[in-house]
Amino acid sequence: MAEQPSALDTAFAALAKFDWGNDAKVLQPIDAAVVACHGNAGQRTDLENRFTQLLSQPISRAAVEYICRKLCLIGTAACVPTLAPLLGQPEHSHMARYALERIAAPAAGDALRKALGTVPDELKIGMIASLAARRDGQSVPAIAEVLAAASKAGQTRLAVAAADALGQIQTAAAVDALTAATPTDAAVAAAVVNARLAAAEGLLAAKQPAKARAIYQSLVSAAAGQPRAKSIELAATRGLLACAEQTAAS
Amino acid sequence: MKKFTKYSRVVFAVLALLAGNGGSTLQAADETDPVGMAIDLLHRADADFRQLGLDAIAHATPGEAATYRYAAELSKLPAGQQRELLAAFRDRGDAAAAAAVTALLLASADSDVRADAIRTLGVLGNATEVELLKAALAKPDPEQAAARRALVTLQGRHVGKQLADAARFGEPSLRPKLIDILADRRERSILPDLPAFLLEKDAAVRLAAARFLGMFGGPEQVAGMVAGLLQTPAGRERDELARAVVAVCTSNRGHAAAAKSFLEQFKQTGAAEQEILLPTLGRIGGPEALGIIDDLVADPSRRAFGLKALTVWPTAEVTGRLFALLESATDAAERQQLLDGLIRIAPRPDKTINDSKRLELVKQTMALCQRDEDRQRLLDRTDAIRTIDAFRFVVGYLDDPDLQEAACQSVVELAHHRQLRDAHKEEFMKALDRVIAVTKNEELIERANRYKAGKTWERKKA
Repeated sequence: MAEQPSALDTAFAALAKFDWGNDAKVLQPIDAAVVACHGNAGQRTDLENRFTQLLSQPISRAAVEYICRKLCLIGTAACVPTLAPLLGQPEHSHMARYALERIAAPAAGDALRKALGTVPDELKIGMIASLAARRDGQSVPAIAEVLAAASKAGQTRLAVAAADALGQIQTAAAVDALTAATPTDAAVAAAVVNARLAAAEGLLAAKQPAKARAIYQSLVSAAAGQPRAKSIELAATRGLLACAEQTAAS
Repeated sequence: MKKFTKYSRVVFAVLALLAGNGGSTLQAADETDPVGMAIDLLHRADADFRQLGLDAIAHATPGEAATYRYAAELSKLPAGQQRELLAAFRDRGDAAAAAAVTALLLASADSDVRADAIRTLGVLGNATEVELLKAALAKPDPEQAAARRALVTLQGRHVGKQLADAARFGEPSLRPKLIDILADRRERSILPDLPAFLLEKDAAVRLAAARFLGMFGGPEQVAGMVAGLLQTPAGRERDELARAVVAVCTSNRGHAAAAKSFLEQFKQTGAAEQEILLPTLGRIGGPEALGIIDDLVADPSRRAFGLKALTVWPTAEVTGRLFALLESATDAAERQQLLDGLIRIAPRPDKTINDSKRLELVKQTMALCQRDEDRQRLLDRTDAIRTIDAFRFVVGYLDDPDLQEAACQSVVELAHHRQLRDAHKEEFMKALDRVIAVTKNEELIERANRYKAGKTWERKKA
């Protein structure tokens, strides 16, 4: 038992100097400790502290990636202040999101939301995707704003990502934001319709047929009689049938 | 567009309801009535929207009440859409639609609709529908074909019995079809009656009975089949029945007992009848049968029949006798008959000997062939031995102008087998090049080129 901390210390020392091309075996005690800390709050906090201390030091990108992969498993609100600054750094932003997206603490969502307003445009899509993956209802106004602004500015990819995110979040506010969207770009308009259909499907899966039906009916009404919108009308009509089946069965 | 307007009214009414503008009870019911929505879609002019409704009918909205509502729409649709709904009923599988389908079958003037209704009854119906489907068997296609298939798939406790009774005592023109249907249903309860059918006047009944017996007959039916064989005039029908007897005695359930029974029947018949049964006896084989045939061959007055039976023997165990007889035979016709037997038996797949022994028999037979046409036939059949030695044997004839076409055929056929070809790639490539250079057969050239390129070849259907 006495040897274990020593092996872990050695592994953390190796992690501080770790880089791509090194033998990853030296990190195995850390892997084992991450698995072993399940249900042991003290050990988990100790590991989290070790990781955050290392992240504060100048370490390689490979080491940062390794730490982010571990923090997504054991991270708590305590590591968020260390991870949050990485969101704005192009080389670490992706792995910081990888961790924060999966850390259940509300602080992780706060950090992603805050970053959405500050990171450069090319990193915003990632923030939006992570907030969508967390189904973060608080981010809807910000994402809706991005959708409107990006549509206006001709930033199609960003606007499409924002629409997709609102479709995933599926709150009433997200649905309203999608309904209110008036994109002129065809790709964004298609993304908004897809997002509304996705939102309706999600609501149906969550046994909320009345909310889903409202979306489907709105889509049917808008598409009716427009040959080019037939696929939308078909999809929404199928959804209406599914809503009716679910309502009748309940 | 009329249908579309009707549908839109429902949507707008529901929207108004959700917006708090109120709505009638009917409109409120519509949004929770998937059956009504599916029916609405069913009447749409656009096939894609109809398909949504049909999918819901086939796979969702379960229950008899829903089925009755859907079935009530059958009579309101045009013929093409009736067929679509019938297909959905087949997938839905609810017998509650059967009555409406029957009504459509009786009322429709469109033969395709009637055929689809028959198909649907085959899925949804039971013994109640047997009479109706039997009547459809007498109609022309497509109804007849649909009825045949429907009677094969129809489920129900008494369906088999009803069909068997109809095959025994029913309308004469339908009996052969019903016997074939019973065979497809694997309805063995009719088996005891079938030998008697072989003696009937109607050739179609006899042939159908022979087909059934060939598939499911056992030792109990052999005596009756022999009686039928003896009464059947020579030709296609006798051959068909003989094949059925061979199947019963060599591969069906209880085939050993059946073969024994056949031999007993054979012994009990007179010389004239035995001559009729001899080719069948030869195909069935077995040591006791071989003893009988040896005796016949030794009897100058019945030697020809014995030889005939010997040359259709199913295994290579008679090849020793055939070689010996060929060596001593002086009559040209007899020599040819024996050689034909060897050409047939030597290369054929046989569980009693291994591949190298089969090839040895082929080589021995080849040495006895005097005519190119016999050599060609033997080379052509040698591809049944899928070994590299057999390949090398036929390759040896690729440069013989009189035999190279047959050799090419066998080389290409052996090259078809990838495992054999890939294991001896160099030899095969060389031989296939030679085939391409000498054959006049375009198909062989195409096949040879494909095999050389490592591709496969799909055999054309006959």
